[in-house]
Amino acid sequence: MTESSATTVPPVLTLHNVRKTYRGREALKGISLELRPGELLGFFGPNGAGKTTMIRCISGLLKPDSGTITRHPFDHGDDDDPDNDEPIRLGLVPQNLAVYPDLTVQQNLEVFGRLEGVSGKALKHRINEVLEWAALKDRTRSLTKTLSGGMQRRLNIACSVLHDPDILLLDEPTVGVDPQSRERIYEMMQQLTADGAAVLLTTHQLEEVETRCDRIVVMDHGTIVADGTLSELVSRTIGQPHRVILKFDRPCSKPLAAFAFDEPRTTATCSLASMKELPQVLSVLKQLDQEPSRIDVRSYGLQDVFLELTGRSLRE
Amino acid sequence: MILTILRILFLRLRNNPLELVLVFVMPVVFFSIFAGIFSKGIATGSDKKLRVGWIAAHENALSLELRAFLEKNSTLQCSSLIAKPSLADLDDEAEEKSIAEIEIEATIAEAQRSGRYDLIIRLPDDFPTRLADSEDSAPCAVQLVTDGQNPMAVAMVTSVVRGFFAQKKAASAAEQLVSLSLAAQSSSGYGSPREPNASQYFDPVKDPSQVFGNDQDSRFIVTNSDGVNSVNGVSDVPKEWAIAPPKSVFTTEELLETELADKPESENDEAVSISVENPQAATQENPRIAMYAAGIAVLFLLFSSTGNAAALLEEAESGTLDRILVSQAGLFHIVSGKWLGILLLGCLQITVMFVWAELFFKIQLAKHIVGFCIMTFSTAAATASFAMLLATLCKSRAQLNAVSVVIILSMSAVGGSMIPRFAMSDRMKEIGRWTFNAWALDGYQKIFWFQSPLTSLQNEVAVLLGSSLVLGVLTLLFSGRWKRG
Repeated sequence: MTESSATTVPPVLTLHNVRKTYRGREALKGISLELRPGELLGFFGPNGAGKTTMIRCISGLLKPDSGTITRHPFDHGDDDDPDNDEPIRLGLVPQNLAVYPDLTVQQNLEVFGRLEGVSGKALKHRINEVLEWAALKDRTRSLTKTLSGGMQRRLNIACSVLHDPDILLLDEPTVGVDPQSRERIYEMMQQLTADGAAVLLTTHQLEEVETRCDRIVVMDHGTIVADGTLSELVSRTIGQPHRVILKFDRPCSKPLAAFAFDEPRTTATCSLASMKELPQVLSVLKQLDQEPSRIDVRSYGLQDVFLELTGRSLRE
Repeated sequence: MILTILRILFLRLRNNPLELVLVFVMPVVFFSIFAGIFSKGIATGSDKKLRVGWIAAHENALSLELRAFLEKNSTLQCSSLIAKPSLADLDDEAEEKSIAEIEIEATIAEAQRSGRYDLIIRLPDDFPTRLADSEDSAPCAVQLVTDGQNPMAVAMVTSVVRGFFAQKKAASAAEQLVSLSLAAQSSSGYGSPREPNASQYFDPVKDPSQVFGNDQDSRFIVTNSDGVNSVNGVSDVPKEWAIAPPKSVFTTEELLETELADKPESENDEAVSISVENPQAATQENPRIAMYAAGIAVLFLLFSSTGNAAALLEEAESGTLDRILVSQAGLFHIVSGKWLGILLLGCLQITVMFVWAELFFKIQLAKHIVGFCIMTFSTAAATASFAMLLATLCKSRAQLNAVSVVIILSMSAVGGSMIPRFAMSDRMKEIGRWTFNAWALDGYQKIFWFQSPLTSLQNEVAVLLGSSLVLGVLTLLFSGRWKRG
């Protein structure tokens, strides 16, 4: 999803100041966000941050104490008649394997398709599509419990897309799967977003959020502490995305352009907006009266943003 | 290392209260239930008595005496049945039987269906006012009407009734013997100032021939309790009393024994003729097997129903329920669908059991198919709702397993799936009324045992379907927790 389309396409889902007290604890403290078609939104946060509660609220399993969750009517047709707008179709992929282990792959897809109101030839056609999409075509008659963990995860997702949902909510969909299956799962999600679906996922996998998601929302203690693309988050929380750090054995007496020294002047740091600036910055090393004992060039990522925003104390 | 493994075992047990209940509480609960059934009945403090119904076409001195004798027996609880004209279907049988007979039979049938009696004693219209006057007289006819449930009842009551007539006969024989003795004494000077108290030993009898029959050739010497012999050749006794010269010398006790011992055993019992009738026997076949089938079927129905309902908990734990709730199926659809599935499986399960019983034990399923269908549907509906409510209230499958084992085994023990209800005390039977098993078994009993009309099932069906409705509504109310997480 491009930056421009993200702002021009109307949202399919809007949360406004959503609050929810769950099991005696205020799990959501005024959550507001928007989700747009074709967007892959990653929810990242420590355990107990409120991610699952938020997904349950969005899916309608929990009713917020206050605030609003709006699923905007979605125009699936070509005409402009607002009366043709259909209600938003929602798909949920729970954190656990929410399929019947004693049913075959085909049978699971059939029952969940029917529960979503798909039947007859449409269901048969859709099952074939989904089997291809999830790379499970050759295991249709296998009992689900005999599948590998990765296959079960893919089936778990496949069962939620049979009705071609406009919004797909995934609660940690890649837990416990091998890299190949994880790769395949993200390819599946990218195909969904390419087809116009809005995908919201929660995960603990930093790398997944950094590299796969169009937008990242960081949650902590029931609130959204950051929302944006990775570069936006880094620039907002840390500043420049790259940093050069020089270490000296003894205090450096000469000043160094663009670098800031700490006391007792054994460490110098310089932030970079782009890696292109690196040669120019490193050229100043010629001015030094001693060689640095160590040079670190570091790019900031989500973990730095996250730790910066949430601190280092353990949760739960 | 072994100690560490042992420690793990005990720590796990200690941290799992449900397992503790199963290990330590459940056996005690079951012991108490069975002890209650097999000992004195729960909280009644009295032994279980056989409940005997009493119905006589006409009461007379002998029947009242028999009735009083039965009432004195500590093992019996005797109560009268009053023939009700309204119960009799006069049109069909009026030509063959008297109206009174038809009314009595209808009353007996009603009493049996009520399940309040282990046995019914019926005295016919011609029940004599006194014991048979001679050996030519017909013995007193006593009819025991059983429903076949409690074979011990027939044996026990037969024994008691025979005991009564044996006593009567013995007393009568003794009276006759003494009377004969007195007559002989009077002719030989006994009863005179020499033996003024001889008559105090015995009551006079009217006719000594009752004791000795018509054997006019009998010749004997009677010795009274003081050892004084009467003598033969008495001139003023009737000819048939003529006493021949002694072949030997007997005491009165020996004489009585000899007289009785010389007769075949059957003749000793001639005073009473006991017939046992089972009105259903002519038209029923293997009703006991049908009851076993029902008992076992209901027990396993409860287990299988809770097992199927437990799928709801599994789905909740795995998140499948969340997925279904988010789909077009709402909570009502989910609960209703599960309930219907458990109901159908339950009906099928009971049907398989009864079809098997029909194939191999000939329980006449086809003859009672409508009643069977009604009871099976009602029972399955009640157990389905019960299972769904349990699953809705429990937090996990493990909890449901433990709770259901405790409840179902207790219900089955008290409700008659393990021990026939007729063997239970009244108090225990009342407690059993709080279980599905008891109502279901009572219904099946009416169908297969008493072959009652379908209208007689109204109480059982009303209770089972009513329970199903109430528990179903409670399930829907409590199932909201699935949505609340």
